[in-house]
Amino acid sequence: MQKHLTLEQKDARLGVKLVLPALSIILLLILYPVGYNIYLSFFDVTMTGQSTYIALENYTSVLSDPTFWKSVATTFTYVIFSTFGTTLFGLIVAMVMNKKFPLRWLVRSIILLPYVAPVISVVFAWQFFFDPVNGIFMHFMVDVLGIYDQRFNLIGSPSYAIWVAIIFSIWKSFPFTYLMLLSRLQTIDKNLYEAAEIDGCGPVRKFFSITLPELYFVMGSIVLLRFIWNFNKFEDIYLLTDNVKVLSIYTYFKAFTGNMDLGQGSALVVIQFGLLIGLILLYVKKVLKW
Amino acid sequence: MVIHKNIFKSIGFFLLVMFIVLFSLFPFLQMLSTSLKHSWDWGNPSLIPAQVNTSAYKELLNIGQDEKDLPESVRILLEETPDLTEAQKESIIAKFKDSGDIFPFMKYFRNSLAFATTAAFISLIIAIFGAYSISRMKYRGQKLIQRGVLFVYMVGGILLLIPLYKISVAIGLAGTEQGTVVSLLIIYMVQTLPVSLYMLGNTFRSIPFSIEEAAFVEGYTRIQTIWKIIIPLSLGALATVFVYSFMIAWNEYLFASVFLKSFKDLFTLPIALKALFVSKNAIWDRIMAASMLTAIPVVILFMLVQKYLAGNMSSGGVKE
Amino acid sequence: MKRLSRIMTVVLITMLLVPFAVFAQGDTEMVTEETTGPVAFEFWSTETQSDRQATIQVLIDTYEALNPDVSIKLIPVDENDMAAQLQTASSAGTLPAMIEIGAENAVAFGVDGLMNVDATQALIDRVGADSFYEGAMKLVESEDGEPYALPYHGWVQGIWYRSDWFEEAGLEAPDTWENIQKAAEYFYKPAENQYGILVGTKPENYAEQCFTPFAMSNGARLFDSDGNLIFNSPEMKEAVEFYAELAKYNPPGPQTWRARDYYLQGKMAMFFYSTYIMDDLSLAEVAAGSLTAENFSDLAGKDFDPELVDHTKMQPLITNTETAGYGVVVTMGLINQPDEAKTQAAADFLRYLYTPNAYITFLHMAPGGMNPVIKGIASNARYQNDPKGIFKHYGPEKMAEISEGMNDIVSFSIVDGKKINAATEVTTQQIIPQMLYKITQEGMDVDAAMAWAEKEMKALLD
Repeated sequence: MQKHLTLEQKDARLGVKLVLPALSIILLLILYPVGYNIYLSFFDVTMTGQSTYIALENYTSVLSDPTFWKSVATTFTYVIFSTFGTTLFGLIVAMVMNKKFPLRWLVRSIILLPYVAPVISVVFAWQFFFDPVNGIFMHFMVDVLGIYDQRFNLIGSPSYAIWVAIIFSIWKSFPFTYLMLLSRLQTIDKNLYEAAEIDGCGPVRKFFSITLPELYFVMGSIVLLRFIWNFNKFEDIYLLTDNVKVLSIYTYFKAFTGNMDLGQGSALVVIQFGLLIGLILLYVKKVLKW
Repeated sequence: MVIHKNIFKSIGFFLLVMFIVLFSLFPFLQMLSTSLKHSWDWGNPSLIPAQVNTSAYKELLNIGQDEKDLPESVRILLEETPDLTEAQKESIIAKFKDSGDIFPFMKYFRNSLAFATTAAFISLIIAIFGAYSISRMKYRGQKLIQRGVLFVYMVGGILLLIPLYKISVAIGLAGTEQGTVVSLLIIYMVQTLPVSLYMLGNTFRSIPFSIEEAAFVEGYTRIQTIWKIIIPLSLGALATVFVYSFMIAWNEYLFASVFLKSFKDLFTLPIALKALFVSKNAIWDRIMAASMLTAIPVVILFMLVQKYLAGNMSSGGVKE
Repeated sequence: MKRLSRIMTVVLITMLLVPFAVFAQGDTEMVTEETTGPVAFEFWSTETQSDRQATIQVLIDTYEALNPDVSIKLIPVDENDMAAQLQTASSAGTLPAMIEIGAENAVAFGVDGLMNVDATQALIDRVGADSFYEGAMKLVESEDGEPYALPYHGWVQGIWYRSDWFEEAGLEAPDTWENIQKAAEYFYKPAENQYGILVGTKPENYAEQCFTPFAMSNGARLFDSDGNLIFNSPEMKEAVEFYAELAKYNPPGPQTWRARDYYLQGKMAMFFYSTYIMDDLSLAEVAAGSLTAENFSDLAGKDFDPELVDHTKMQPLITNTETAGYGVVVTMGLINQPDEAKTQAAADFLRYLYTPNAYITFLHMAPGGMNPVIKGIASNARYQNDPKGIFKHYGPEKMAEISEGMNDIVSFSIVDGKKINAATEVTTQQIIPQMLYKITQEGMDVDAAMAWAEKEMKALLD
């Protein structure tokens, strides 16, 4: 008995040792910055490094700024539509790729391209594609198909740019979702489908009563990750178009342009962080039932 | 009737596949097309170049480039600086000619590859042990770590930028090339570790305990089981995690742009591309060709490993 | 499984080896480059193009060869990233000693206490306060006349237009409000994918650069000479309305200077641009060189004009109730350093950059784009013999007109010869570009947008 206990203790100690490198890197490089930002958010920071304590003033001035609320709304539009679109499209692609067809190996490789190509290298092509004067998209829409009678700036205009950003996000991240879903799809027991067929279930019924429940937790995790990633997304949007002011972009402009208010920038970051944590806890409880 | 239905179904399926392929490919077609166009052709909406122009690729890959001419103004400058010795003049001229590359693609490519592989590899090693620990061993706090790890992603990159740069300056890392490399590698690890731990943890959990128990009976230690049982049984997931980490480091822009600013020799492809873009001349063929060249290596890497990806991601995203 | 594990091992090992090989190589390069003398400092330059970098590096190398105990690190920083990079460097204590930035930014950073005023003044005295153009000097000074930076070069903005199209249509040069509007309307043919004019409508500096001469030529100002905000005036409203009208003949959507590509492609009649375009136009000429007679005949992009350079003219001044032009002075600034030796070394190097030989070498990186702010250089024979033959092409009179423009650049921040720094802040906050964006892109009513801008300006002044 005595010996057994020490073995377990030994084991526990080894366990801690094994996880320690990962844990310490994460804690050190995440906790300090978070703490630093919370600290800064109570100060009026100037370029020369002198800061004065101003209590909650940064927060009140951020929260009373209508453009902040507008960017919260933009963020939610972006995150919700891009997460939903990515998951849906990823699911469709996973179902298609789960069927056998000629040249499937090639198609499978091709559809990974958006995910693997560096953002910076593809944004130029997107900008070119949607360029109002020289782009192919407008050429087709106006000159060839005649769907619109006038060219317009899809990627630049304040009302359309967010949709381009959403489609870009779907384009960029659906392969990840598809890969995750496909690997789960392949592990579903074939007997389940056969049994359902014997019971006379059609494809729709099979999808809803077998496939979807089997995918539930994978999808739950993917949606969660995608939601978090897109909520904090900066590069993809910033490099593609400067007209979609989601929170991270709004913060960047606040902290790094104009009169460069680092204090307010920090306050914004803290608010964004708090908002996200609240949402996630809710989601984890309700959907993933942790 | 049944045949008709099948034909419609097949055509519909075919169209769906075509749509998926086109949707994935269109920006790359645009890229390829523009990279092969002459500048007078940029304004044409057609994807097919009026006349194929490969000079952008030649320039980037440094094929058949003449030596850079010494501009008149530089020549006069040196001539009219009498205090310079001949040797000094020559070395200045040699350095000038050496800097001729507009976009030393191979150098940036090597840098990117080095950053991405190193970061991915170290991250993988650390994650293997970490994931094994949180999925297979029991101790206080183990559950908390297991669940808490993904919460790291809630901290956006912008939040981390200034504090992390500040730390690395404070401990003297940001001042030297090696230090900068180390800082960036650690930052990339932080961004990849949570998902690596999560995915590997799930994979390890799906390996039956009985196999491991058998190993213990044989007298294997924990570490030995990891090497001899766990790793061989989850190679697919390891590859996935590796590729995933590789991608993050290969594509990263924000941190690289701040940390590497002073070290032009360490530029990775993303910042080099951005630098090319903001230089003021209209050089779309060069930008697109550079984009193409940046994308191709990762694409090839993926083509090589993708066979193992889909099938072996196994329980990659599954909970418990 | 066996095969797979073998493949994976090979892949992993190769991947492991590659980086070490590369970093090892990096190490050896480090050693040879390390020439740390007693003083080393960083010089951040906004000239990010690689050929300009190479030329500046030659100037540095020459200087270092003459002064072996100084080592200067040249770092290119894109203008748009400058603030973020300075911010990060400032909080980390790694600021450069010397920096090349626009005058407006120099003043903004100066007000924030970043610039070393004493060292700047001392250096101006060494170069000779009289040798700078007064107009350029004014732009870098505080309200009390203290210099935040040293003017180094500058560009003049103008309307560049297709003189062949104008001639054919019998239109007059775009020199007055009326002529500009007439031509913009005439050439605006969206159905043929051709546009009349390019004015900035994105919320960034370019919009303000295009707008300023319109406001100025209508007698509208931001502040009176006592520093009172007089933005919301009938003159300003007229200028804003006229600008919004012109924006209707723009290519679709928010636009900025990048849209000058459309002009180079023959799809636009007029655009606002600095004299830097001379460089791009000569590039277009090179591009035209790749057009051979046989592939030109059936060329789909027939909009492209291989003789564009000859068909382009420039109108630097706009007239309505007054006449106004626009230009920007680029400065070299000395940033406060904990180590004074660095500031001194940077100042010495900058003094060298003002010697005629070095100065002309610098300006010749972009002939026409970079114009001297030091008296006597414009008439210098070596300066006029520029590498791209721009003096030859545009003629000495036009170039003299451009150079002289440097002496009376108009700006909201100078009223009756007095410096109003609040105007600089309005500029760096990009309030006017944001207002123009709201009007032209978000469809906001002119009065409402102006009221918004006035509110923002007032908030800024408190």
